[in-house]
Amino acid sequence: MRRILTVDDSASMRQMVSFTLRKAGYEVTEAVDGKDGLDKVAGEKFDLIITDLNMPNVDGIQMITGVRKTPGYSFVPILMLSTESQAEKKNEGRKAGATGWIVKPFNAEQLVAVVQKLVK
Amino acid sequence: MAATGESKSMSGRTSTTAACNLAKSGDDLLWLLRTAEDAINGLVVAFQDLAGHTDTTLKLTAAIVERVQDESVVSVLPSVRALGVAAKLFLGERLQATTGILETVTAEMALLSKLSAVTEGQGKIALDINMLTVHTKIEVAHLGSVGAGFEYLAHELADFSHSLTENTKELASHTDKRKDAAENTQHMLSVELPQLRKELTRVEVNLRDDLAQLEAGLTELSRMPEQFRVSAEDIARQIAGVVVAVQGYDITRQQVEHVQEALEVISQRFLKTDGSTEGVSQETAHAHAGLVIQIHQLHAIRATIAEWKSQIMTCMDGIFRISASDIVGIGPLVLEQERSMSSQLSHIEMLERECQAYGERIRSTLEGITNLSQLFTEHLRESEAARNRLRLLTFNSVIEASRLGARADTICVIADGIAEVSAEWGMIAEHSGSTLEEILELSERINEVMATFSGASDEQLNRTQEQTGAGLESLREASGFAASQGQKIGQTIETMRAGSGEIGKIGDQLDACFGRIDEVLSEVEKVKSQLEADYPEVKEEYDSEEIERLFSATYTTQAERDVLRTAIYGTAPSIAQSSSIGNDVELF
Repeated sequence: MRRILTVDDSASMRQMVSFTLRKAGYEVTEAVDGKDGLDKVAGEKFDLIITDLNMPNVDGIQMITGVRKTPGYSFVPILMLSTESQAEKKNEGRKAGATGWIVKPFNAEQLVAVVQKLVK
Repeated sequence: MAATGESKSMSGRTSTTAACNLAKSGDDLLWLLRTAEDAINGLVVAFQDLAGHTDTTLKLTAAIVERVQDESVVSVLPSVRALGVAAKLFLGERLQATTGILETVTAEMALLSKLSAVTEGQGKIALDINMLTVHTKIEVAHLGSVGAGFEYLAHELADFSHSLTENTKELASHTDKRKDAAENTQHMLSVELPQLRKELTRVEVNLRDDLAQLEAGLTELSRMPEQFRVSAEDIARQIAGVVVAVQGYDITRQQVEHVQEALEVISQRFLKTDGSTEGVSQETAHAHAGLVIQIHQLHAIRATIAEWKSQIMTCMDGIFRISASDIVGIGPLVLEQERSMSSQLSHIEMLERECQAYGERIRSTLEGITNLSQLFTEHLRESEAARNRLRLLTFNSVIEASRLGARADTICVIADGIAEVSAEWGMIAEHSGSTLEEILELSERINEVMATFSGASDEQLNRTQEQTGAGLESLREASGFAASQGQKIGQTIETMRAGSGEIGKIGDQLDACFGRIDEVLSEVEKVKSQLEADYPEVKEEYDSEEIERLFSATYTTQAERDVLRTAIYGTAPSIAQSSSIGNDVELF
């Protein structure tokens, strides 16, 4: 079973992402912020990461930068799930190593379709 | 920022009060954020449960729809219609045939009466010949040695009389038996024919009624799950809409956070405005602009929450309105109709068996007639041979009597008697022959009628019975399946409704949390009004672009930026960044 890490400081958002992906047959691990996300990445192997942008401790961009430096995570797809829709922010995310961007709220079917495409 | 000379500054006490009130409002917002988080999480869990249940319901419904749309189920109606036509044809043909057979049997009865008359005539002739035999024997004895030539005649006459008596008895017995059988058959058919007619009408009416009911049931069976599916899909969409809306809480949360931060900043600015400056200070102007923006943001938050509430209410209303009772009831209803139709099928099978039994009886009737006609043919053939022989003997006896002269006059009289009886017998034989021909004709007619009982309508009926039986079997299975799935759907809907209490509590919790928005809004509007009362020109005292720069720095969502621009420039809000179905993924 493919493993996905979802990182968000909002419990409800984590819950919704997990619910959507578990229903689609994925194993989902939750992290409460960027720091927690980096810790989990260091200890486990994930096939895809979905992260929020604005989080306490370590934000989404910082986390992506950290993940990309982690061995074995150079090509793991990372999707940013944020309330931000500004082009500059998206560009920042892309430069840090994000694979794609979703403006909250997400479309569950679309998210599953993209995840399926990215982790197949 | 320029101050107007006529303007008066906010008093130090008013500024402090405003600052305190705004700080308190900020605290209220912090409380709101802390409290709302739990309610939102609860809402997410509750609606995920609902989504799961709706998913289950949709799967159950889809399974019913798939089963009901199966070809074997769909074909049951044409099969039943074909069965109706075949049964009508089958019974109609048998009714016609039975009528024909009744007419034939009635005709046979008349012929049998004729045959009885023939046998009676034969019996009389047998007696006459017997008498002639006695006379011949007496005359032979009287003539002594010269009459030896007539002994053979006497012997032949005795034989003929004996065999004719025996044959007559046999024929009479057969004719009587046949008459009894024909009478029975006539009686049976007379009784059963009206019943068969009634049965035909009954089967026709029942089949038509059952077919209409089954058709209505099947229509419902195929319409109901589909209709229910549409309603369930509608609820699923509403649930998904709520889930998407609740996702938007992340935006609302940030909006609230930013309003709280802004109120804190504005409060600080008020504290700096201690009344020492004449006119509208830059701090006051910025504070006013900030208040205007926050009021807009708070209105937007309130509108968002009202929209959630409306979505949740609509969704819950949909869950309460969706009726599983129809879908729960449709399976048993169709099962009942199927049972009624199956009993019709059994009834038709029973009628078919009864018709086969008629066939057997008619066949035995036919056999009886055939046997009787064979017996008559044989009897006529034998009688004809005996008559020819007798005629020859009579001729020889007349020659012998002529040779003996007057002594054999009595023999001549006997010979005349034999000739008369022979002629009479010939007439009876002729009459028997024509009656026999009529009987044979009757046999042929019965044969034709009998063909109906093994005609093509049997095959057609059997074929449609088989097809209908298979169709009803599929329908039974589909109805049973729909009944069990319907029950599960009913239970799932009940579970969903039971969860509404929890959602209601969460809704109350959210109302209590976001009710604070109104209090905050009222407070902020009060401060703003006070400011405008103190500085009527305050609205013109700031640079919009600078205000946008100042207050948008922390904004992370398009929604907040849109509200800010509306507040500052009065522009209409741009199209919402999110739709009710959520946003797509943009891959780099």
